[in-house]
Amino acid sequence: MASLQEPWLLENGNLKGCSKEIRHGRTAHNMSSSSLRKKSDLTLVSKVRFVMLRQFLTNLQEVILGTKLSVLFPAIPLAIVAECYGFGRPWIFALSLLGLTPLAERVSFLTEQIAYYTGPTVGGLLNATCGNATELIIAIFALSQNKIDVVKYSLLGSVLSNLLLVLGTSLFCGGIANLRREQKYDRRQADVNSLLLLLALLCHSLPLLFRMSGASAALTANPTLQLSRASSIVMLIAYISYLVFQLFTHRQLFEAQEESEDDDGVSEEEPVIGFWSGFIWLVGMTVVISLLSEYVVETIEDASDSWGISVSFISIILLPIVGNAAEHAGAIIFAFKNKLDISLGVALGSATQISMFVVPLCIVVAWIMGIKMDLNFNLLETGSLALSIIAVAFTLQDGTSHYLKGLVLLLLYIVIGACFFVSKMPLSNGIDTIIGA
Amino acid sequence: MESAGDLSYMENGESNKSLMGKETCNNNGGVIRTAQNRSSSFMRKKSDPMLVSTVRFQMLRQFLANLQQVILGTKLAVFFPAIPLAIAADCYEFGRPWIFALSLLGLTPLAERVSFLTEQIAYYTGPAVGGLLNATCGNATELIIALFALYQNKIHVLKYSLMGSVLSNLLLVLGTSLLCGGLANLKKEQRYDRKQADVNSGLLLLGLLCHMLPLMFRYAAQSSGISIAKSTLELSRASSVVMLAAYIGYIIFQLKTHRQVFDAQEDGEDEDEEKAVIGFWSGFSWLVGMTLVIALLSEYVVGTVEAASETWGISISFISIILIPIVGNAAEHAGAIIFAFKNKLDISLGVALGSATQISMFAVPLCVVVGWIMRIPMDLDFSLLETGCLALTILVVAFTLQDGTSHYMKGVVLCLCYIAISVCFFVHKVPAPLDQTIVNSELNSA
Repeated sequence: MASLQEPWLLENGNLKGCSKEIRHGRTAHNMSSSSLRKKSDLTLVSKVRFVMLRQFLTNLQEVILGTKLSVLFPAIPLAIVAECYGFGRPWIFALSLLGLTPLAERVSFLTEQIAYYTGPTVGGLLNATCGNATELIIAIFALSQNKIDVVKYSLLGSVLSNLLLVLGTSLFCGGIANLRREQKYDRRQADVNSLLLLLALLCHSLPLLFRMSGASAALTANPTLQLSRASSIVMLIAYISYLVFQLFTHRQLFEAQEESEDDDGVSEEEPVIGFWSGFIWLVGMTVVISLLSEYVVETIEDASDSWGISVSFISIILLPIVGNAAEHAGAIIFAFKNKLDISLGVALGSATQISMFVVPLCIVVAWIMGIKMDLNFNLLETGSLALSIIAVAFTLQDGTSHYLKGLVLLLLYIVIGACFFVSKMPLSNGIDTIIGA
Repeated sequence: MESAGDLSYMENGESNKSLMGKETCNNNGGVIRTAQNRSSSFMRKKSDPMLVSTVRFQMLRQFLANLQQVILGTKLAVFFPAIPLAIAADCYEFGRPWIFALSLLGLTPLAERVSFLTEQIAYYTGPAVGGLLNATCGNATELIIALFALYQNKIHVLKYSLMGSVLSNLLLVLGTSLLCGGLANLKKEQRYDRKQADVNSGLLLLGLLCHMLPLMFRYAAQSSGISIAKSTLELSRASSVVMLAAYIGYIIFQLKTHRQVFDAQEDGEDEDEEKAVIGFWSGFSWLVGMTLVIALLSEYVVGTVEAASETWGISISFISIILIPIVGNAAEHAGAIIFAFKNKLDISLGVALGSATQISMFAVPLCVVVGWIMRIPMDLDFSLLETGCLALTILVVAFTLQDGTSHYMKGVVLCLCYIAISVCFFVHKVPAPLDQTIVNSELNSA
């Protein structure tokens, strides 16, 4: 089978030359989630006598047990069991959420493995597209069930979580751990991301302002939709040029920091599973993610009713924390080691990806499916987004960091969370409500 | 005639001038070549005097030389025939949309020629007055259109066109310059002096504050039911005086005390020689004449904008915010892009930001003051959607320019912002005079 032979091939060939990161497209995402990996202990498996069985078990061990988050894997079959045997729906919700956490991390691992085979550019593209696969799948399922508010809230929450929570905790922990040292990062990468987020903010604000200044709901509903769809195309164009910028013309701004130290056995430059097995695992995991996402979207109202928390709070705060758990942990670990470029790359890159790729993609998909989703995320949400983006852009524009920056961003997130906790607005299921005329 | 005499005087004095250096850094006798002058100088053609020198009579020859310099001295001269066509269309009652389109086309070369004439006159008046002249006349077209709209009481057209001019300068001109410059200089580092950009951003933010106060005032009072039209007007008029004071401070800063921040980059290459090509009085009379023609065409534009909007099926706001400023800015736009290609971003930024500052801190408050004198209730409340767009634009531009480097991605984002805003106004088909009739009725009842 290919998997055992590939490592030999790469070891014999000369891996020197251009820097490792470029060759294998090790973006900040990859390096960050790699810190959650465990080095697989192959001694147990090597006792098995049959070769094919051994290879299969090696494969299994790499993929299933290769992460510290694999303790949460049992939640997946439990969730399926709960669905089939009719346990309480809030239980299905909670178990599905727990099951999604390791799956998100494994998808990122598999994408990285496949990237070894496809080269840096396609690898980077793959990572850029699949990096937030969980959020994308949840959003599409909610869209198909016509729960447009859940889509908007969950995507918004994802952006807020990346910008404030992940970034805040990274800067805070990094600042505390490196109190005596100076913490610097390359501000050009942060500037490009902030600029794209400001463009996204503009595209979100225009339909909102349009709505608020317009005469009546009936008169402005259709133009708002047209405006949103055109803006989505604009945002997708911006995202494509961002990819061209990041992967082709200005690569040097985005390379993960190269250090010569030994990074706790962060994996050597060779894949541990073959291309086709990686691909099959990826497809399989995506199917499982889809299943769990369907459970999550279906049971969200019941969970909200029985726990007494508003749907907006669950969508904006709880769902993204789960979806981002792996990246979050990775970003904090790299901040501890004073490698802020990687933490920033993870947090900002994720936020940019969601706001410039996933959101417009959902609108285009809704357009194709005939669902009326627009970019008008309502006043409270758009206001929170605007202030978060401005705060983050301002925080990151000088190229240095200390723990107070992280603390401020964290506190911003807590305030926004409190705001959505107390706001128990009714879910409108596709009919937009007008803000007090 | 005076023009030939002046010409020879300049030629004799040329050696002295070149010793004093081409740029204005250290001498007071040299000529101010601001960013705008250098940018529009690219649209000039070098006049070929050979054809004219065959004419026998001296005065006729000088007159024809003059004519050639002024009328044919630009690549945009192809648009000049639109002017008589527009006048003919108005006299012979062609379709009103035709009058609109032809007037717009005719305004394009006129705007550029006015800038050229201003530069020529500046050679004679010295740097300070020349700089002032340029600062005032640089956006003559927009100002004249605005004053005519005010006079015909089409205040929404006025507000839209001024705001569209600011947006066009900040997003379209700046965006395309940064984009083209970035693509052309992919391997080079692109830097510019951020102090100039910072000063302009600061002034634009002040303008934004003055726009937002009446707006928020109106929304705050609406919920409590008090009639505040009169107070909004007083607030707007006071803010206009503040903005004009800020603009005067900016002029002093730019032309007297901190000139070195604004000097165009010196490169030692071969530029136009430092001498005027037409005499002072002929330049002055051409300037007056061209201003009259601009006034005439602007009157046509303002008078026919509703007819054009109905015929073409596009909203008035789109025409005023997007189409009219693109035409008015065409010459500066092309010049800014050309300088960006050569990696001289300071000049491109000077053109775009300087124009935007001039319009928002000079043209807008001037219109409010003129409205005050003419007893027309023009205020600074540009309604929610437009003020929101302005606020986000200024925010994006201030953030983009605050680090002193550039790459094509910045240009891409600015251009896409402009496209998003254009689409917004394209689909915005709300009846325009809605706000103004409310204000008028409130004032009448007060």
